[in-house]
Amino acid sequence: MKKIIFGVLTVLVLCCGPEDATPTTPINDTFDPTMATLLRQGNLMGSSSYTVGGVAQLYDDTGKLVLLLDNFSSSNGPDLRVYLSTTTGNTSFVNLGKLKSTTGKQSYEIPAGTDLTEFKFVLIWCQQFSVLFGKSETN
Amino acid sequence: MKLLISLLLFLNIAAATSAQTLSTVNYGSISGAVGNSQGSVSIDYFHLWKPGASKKIEIGFGARFTSYFGNSQYYSSAPASLANDVTNTDSILLVSPQVNALNLAVNLGYRLFPKIGLGFNIDALGFTLGSTKDGTYLNGTQGGSTSAKPTSFNVLLVGNNDRGTLNSEFYARYFFTEKFALKVAYQYVFTEYTTDTKIQQTPEANDRFRNKASLFSLGITKQL
Repeated sequence: MKKIIFGVLTVLVLCCGPEDATPTTPINDTFDPTMATLLRQGNLMGSSSYTVGGVAQLYDDTGKLVLLLDNFSSSNGPDLRVYLSTTTGNTSFVNLGKLKSTTGKQSYEIPAGTDLTEFKFVLIWCQQFSVLFGKSETN
Repeated sequence: MKLLISLLLFLNIAAATSAQTLSTVNYGSISGAVGNSQGSVSIDYFHLWKPGASKKIEIGFGARFTSYFGNSQYYSSAPASLANDVTNTDSILLVSPQVNALNLAVNLGYRLFPKIGLGFNIDALGFTLGSTKDGTYLNGTQGGSTSAKPTSFNVLLVGNNDRGTLNSEFYARYFFTEKFALKVAYQYVFTEYTTDTKIQQTPEANDRFRNKASLFSLGITKQL
């Protein structure tokens, strides 16, 4: 009986391994901010024990809304996402996708019609465990 | 559902007319099951009839308690009108879902060899307990926070019309002795949460969300 219980626990541990982390290879997206209009921006900062830095900038690129994370760096974690949110939590948000990398300049397309005065917070958010890694209030 | 009706008809006939001519057997099992960041512990008891001269078929009913626990699990729109078309489904993400269900269940088994038996069982009707959990509602690129509690009432119906938490198993038993067996099973567990508000609004209002878990189960069966 003890062997069976040990076997079950072993399988359980093997099935509950760490999830895939965000890529760490530095990236440099081709988005050129000099060709777009800056609408809002803010400095990114980490939350609790996580380190996040850089500048979050919201652009109008000839009718297309774009978020640029410049000079960006972040602690790593599982299932990190980029949100535009109405608060520093996930009360109401627009998911811009998975964080492309923990370092480097990266851009994210914002769905048309998103009200940037309402969704003015940029969040680096661990969706899997519902944890805030970093935030920026854009003005 | 047809299987359930057939079993109930059989049990009714067996109980009314043949109780003294059919041999019976009672099994109790305890099992642990694991899957992708989720698992369950279940305890069941089945009263089975063994019709026919060979007494290889074991058919009957019983009860099962299932405790399901997960780690960051997605739940999709549960009502059949939504679940039958993936474009109509939204989802909620629960960081630590945990439900406890007690259900009446039916079982159909076959003793392939003296030491090996195969079978299938499925929950049919019962209730679920569990605490309210915070979660995230996801609708395409839009989302928000929500909270949900396990759907209280469980019933097995046709297709996606099922409601609540229901467990089922395809199992094989190896009998070390006539009294004890090792049970290996593929376990398919539905768990369902109801959000505090009808958080999904299109194409229709909905507050029920379901997770379907495929688990590998290992347990011990004792003849009682």
